[in-house]
Amino acid sequence: MSGTVLRVGHLVVEFSGGGAFSLNREIVRAVRDVSFHIGQGEAYGLVGESGSGKTTSGRCVLGLQKPTSGSITLGADDVGELARHDPQALHQRIQAVFQNPISSLNPAMTVDRILAEPLRRLAGVKDSAAARTRSAELLDAVRLPSDVLDRRPTELSGGMAQRVSIARALASSPTLIMLDEAVSALDVATQAQVINLLADLRDETGVSYLFIAHDLAVVRHLCDRIGVMSQGELVEEGNSADICHRPTHEYTQRLLAAVPVPDPNVKRVRQDLRTR
Amino acid sequence: MARTLAFRLVAAVPLVFLVSLLAFGLVHLMPGSASETILGDAATPEAVAELDAELGLDRPIIEQYWNWATDAVQGDFGRSLITSRDVSDTLVERFPVTISIAMGGLVVALMIGVVGGTVAALRQGRLSDRVISLLTASGLAVPNFWVAVLLAFYFGVERDWFPAIGYVGPTESITQWIYHLILPSLALGLGSAAVIARQMRGGLLDVLDRPYIRAARAKGLRYRRVVVVHAMKNAFIPVITVVGFQASVMIGGAVLVEQIFGMPGIGVQVVGAVLSQDMPLVQGVVMVSAVIVIFMNTLIDVSYAYFDPRVRLS
Amino acid sequence: MRSILHRLVARPAGFIPLFWLAIVGFCALLPALVMTHDPNAADFGAILEGPSGEHWFGTDDFGRDTFSRVVDAARPAAMAGLQAVSISLVLGLPIGLFVGYAGGWWDRIVMRIVDAIFSLPGLILAFAIVAILGPGLTNAMYSVGFLFALRIIRLVRGMVLSVREEPFIEAARLSGAPTATVLSRYLLPNMMGPLIVQVTISFAAVLLIEAALSFLGLGVQQPDATWGSMLREARSLQRDNPWIAWPPGLAITFTVLAFNTLGDAYRDVLTEGPGGRAKAAKRGASLGLAQGTTAVSDADPADPNALLSVRNLTVTVPTSAGPAPAVRQLSFDMRPAEVVGLVGESGSGKTVSALAVAGLLPRGVTIDPSSQIHFDGEQLVGKTEADMSNVRGTGIGMIFQDPTASLNPALTVGYQLAEPLRIHHGLSKKDAIDRAVELLDRVGVNNPRQRLKDFPHQFSGGMAQRVMIAMALASEPSLIIADEPTTALDVTTQRQVLELLVELCEDLGMAMLFITHDLGVVAEVCDRAVVMYAGQAVETGDVYDLFAAPDHPYSRALLASVPLLDGDEERLVTIPGRVPGPGEQIAGCRFGARCELVHEACTTTLVELITLPRDGRSSRCLLAGASTESNP
Repeated sequence: MSGTVLRVGHLVVEFSGGGAFSLNREIVRAVRDVSFHIGQGEAYGLVGESGSGKTTSGRCVLGLQKPTSGSITLGADDVGELARHDPQALHQRIQAVFQNPISSLNPAMTVDRILAEPLRRLAGVKDSAAARTRSAELLDAVRLPSDVLDRRPTELSGGMAQRVSIARALASSPTLIMLDEAVSALDVATQAQVINLLADLRDETGVSYLFIAHDLAVVRHLCDRIGVMSQGELVEEGNSADICHRPTHEYTQRLLAAVPVPDPNVKRVRQDLRTR
Repeated sequence: MARTLAFRLVAAVPLVFLVSLLAFGLVHLMPGSASETILGDAATPEAVAELDAELGLDRPIIEQYWNWATDAVQGDFGRSLITSRDVSDTLVERFPVTISIAMGGLVVALMIGVVGGTVAALRQGRLSDRVISLLTASGLAVPNFWVAVLLAFYFGVERDWFPAIGYVGPTESITQWIYHLILPSLALGLGSAAVIARQMRGGLLDVLDRPYIRAARAKGLRYRRVVVVHAMKNAFIPVITVVGFQASVMIGGAVLVEQIFGMPGIGVQVVGAVLSQDMPLVQGVVMVSAVIVIFMNTLIDVSYAYFDPRVRLS
Repeated sequence: MRSILHRLVARPAGFIPLFWLAIVGFCALLPALVMTHDPNAADFGAILEGPSGEHWFGTDDFGRDTFSRVVDAARPAAMAGLQAVSISLVLGLPIGLFVGYAGGWWDRIVMRIVDAIFSLPGLILAFAIVAILGPGLTNAMYSVGFLFALRIIRLVRGMVLSVREEPFIEAARLSGAPTATVLSRYLLPNMMGPLIVQVTISFAAVLLIEAALSFLGLGVQQPDATWGSMLREARSLQRDNPWIAWPPGLAITFTVLAFNTLGDAYRDVLTEGPGGRAKAAKRGASLGLAQGTTAVSDADPADPNALLSVRNLTVTVPTSAGPAPAVRQLSFDMRPAEVVGLVGESGSGKTVSALAVAGLLPRGVTIDPSSQIHFDGEQLVGKTEADMSNVRGTGIGMIFQDPTASLNPALTVGYQLAEPLRIHHGLSKKDAIDRAVELLDRVGVNNPRQRLKDFPHQFSGGMAQRVMIAMALASEPSLIIADEPTTALDVTTQRQVLELLVELCEDLGMAMLFITHDLGVVAEVCDRAVVMYAGQAVETGDVYDLFAAPDHPYSRALLASVPLLDGDEERLVTIPGRVPGPGEQIAGCRFGARCELVHEACTTTLVELITLPRDGRSSRCLLAGASTESNP
């Protein structure tokens, strides 16, 4: 792990509720003073329940949401600055994979053309034959056969579509990929395939991940370090094993205790009841 | 409810203001000036300028609008360029007739539309659904003035069942008023009935597929009760939107239909005004019909609150 | 695109309107070839005649041939339609796209103006514009075109707003696509379908307004005929020639009907996608269920001591390739107060099975009549809807996945909760409310009497699910069916709801059929589990046994693919391939193609559930019993 890829410092995001003319405008503080960093080749997990501010933080990192205050630096550059002046340079370096596999892909395009877009615009592959060759390589990297190139998103299964999204994210050889609940819409067996794939790709390319999810077990499996968010705050941060085995914050402990364990001998739901 | 209504009425003011700008702007988009229209082709430029000064047409445009708008708020839309009669007198005399027909049309449209749409949805795919769908498609395609021509001829002239011509005000005789409104309301309402039936059918089918309908059945409720208590109210929400739109269609359609039944509504007046470029009257009609439509839509907005509690609280 | 056209022409609702519009188009282009007379030639020897061999549609008061005049009027109608629709598109499409995509102040200002104009009745506005421009067909069409441009603006803006939120638009921006590209290659292609439908329907509306303006004498000027002006003339001539009002009226109606029907048919073709519904139904009929119904089953006869005894449950769902069995020969038993998990991935048939037990299958999904569902000794398959409502109202309670969507948004929670109490238990309104308060209190809703007056949207997801549970309890059921009741909830809320459910089952002695894809939840909540794969039960057993030593290769792989909180850094086990669809015919084991232990017999033999020596366990595997020995 040489060097820091992303550094988020004192990030604050506020939304004003109600319309522009609303009388009772209330300020919703979605993210409150969040700081973390991601090293090169590191997978950083951001965990929390709905409304914890994890997705909003991720959107700030991508330059899709303007922070109220705080700093986000990618390498030596300010993300907000890049997003304003050279979004293509920003997105060459940061890519994303979203939750819903099928609707993340343009239904009107073939996979070939979906992959050609970032290749042409971000990776500088102008020649269409070269783009096709490179697209086939990308599909191969995500363990998909090259005949997928000529299919449309509606002809793909959820797992295949999510691999295409990952291939698209890889096209510009980014330093960081943000994965927002990227495996939570998938079935268990497919989810396992995609998690393994993500682990392999990191080993092969040295890309870093910002992995946003609600499922602690999944995050634990893929990530080196984990930040736990609750109500806009980063309540605890540490390496994965520490967070999962020796949580210090009360919220993390509650979160961990709530995760169902596929072992009937644990049966905590029932034991809790008996000891109550 | 009263508070909501008051709030919505206040919220409609900016809309009325925008419409007034449009109506006022009409005159200035027209080739030639009002003075030229009044004086005719033979007028000398001096005479036109003189009349312009008299009518205030030489003042700055904002001042003109201000004068026009303050008068309009007090119900004064000026005088007809052709007959010199007060526009507001014409409006007061004529609009009640047009509104009567429009209301009649709306009643017909709602009755036929809601019943037809509900039956079609509950008998989806069966013969009655197909027949209603066919009637709906035809209803959407038939021009209302043609229906009016046919109704007037076959039920008013060939067979003397209903009056083919004329109008009696509700103050004179309620029964005669309704009697005279039957044919025009039918002619006007059938098209909108088709629109409402279509929305009602689609809306009800959509609601019947919702999880809460399944949950209501899971409670052990009979299907009839599920439909009446749990589905109808929700299915009505999109129908209300359509009804709001139809209110505006009705006013426009009434202008057309009343002429076929020889009713003394605003229709003949406005067509004449359009042909003779009698702008004050056109402006008056535009303003009054817009205010009526905006008011109707406000009422409909408020009625959402009855059907959809989510609206009530926000 | 071509295939869409093919499918459109293949259906009567597409072909017939196209045929009619082709006739109208031909009349508009080459009227001379169709007309039998000069449309404007007076013949005072033949005034107001009825239809005849010479004058097919009769004549008017100048003796002009009505047929020829109707044909002649096709051109102004077509011109009017084309002009108005092109004006509306040229104005409306770019403005709508821009306003929808840019949003912010532009959007607010433009939409306010559009709203203001829309509050004027269309015909009145058309009057106003004609008053400015003067009468005449072209002027009338400018006004109609302007009117419809507003409609297109609204429509396009709405579509942009809905498509703009799709993740693929965000992804396009991340791929470096500039705004123009996002608009032209991502937004527009995905809006084309609905837009074409709207434009088609706009033609119809434009024709109607054009006819109305002509009817009032504000459109085309004499002596040229339009359908509207012919109707205007017909009014005074009807008494002498009743026939005369029909041809122009029918011409308008048919043309408008053709455009409307074509628009609807096109929309149907778009939403159905390739394959089409008609074709699917035909194919399905020949496919039948031959394999499903003849398969042998060694399941025991229904257990008389069981609360719920399901035997050979086969449920057929409609697919693009016709009806296909989503559940195949499912058999299982539940004892009173037992919690049984029905586990599987999507497409396993677990939810369909649960809905079949409750008699709540959606339209088009049917239970094979040979299936048996015995509840409390009563066969439920074949019961009438009314009888099933009684069973649901008194014996079986149900809880669904999405609690907020499962409550009726228009009724208070109190009403919805009291409703079954009054109907099935004959309680008075007051007693029902009191009981509802008790129930809400029982499921842990604070301040229950107050909350009865609230509407569902005022409840959080977890609280809404508690309300749903209270509703299920209202019927004092002996069986609760819970279909993924915690999937939509946050993990801490999930835990609270699970605890509540288990506690209620224990306290009230209820049995629970728990449908889930989450093996962790099964382990924590259930006594026994039925693992489902591609419509079949592949393994059943006590959860301690099943999780400790899964027998079926699928159960084993599934369990190994779950990431664990305290797992070591090993790779997750994955299952190659995908779940076969309901319609797929597979000789032998349905899991065979993905199984690492597959051998030749698996692909030829029909595999049945094999009872294992251990208590209550069975496995649908030729290696049943053998493979577990090698398992730790």
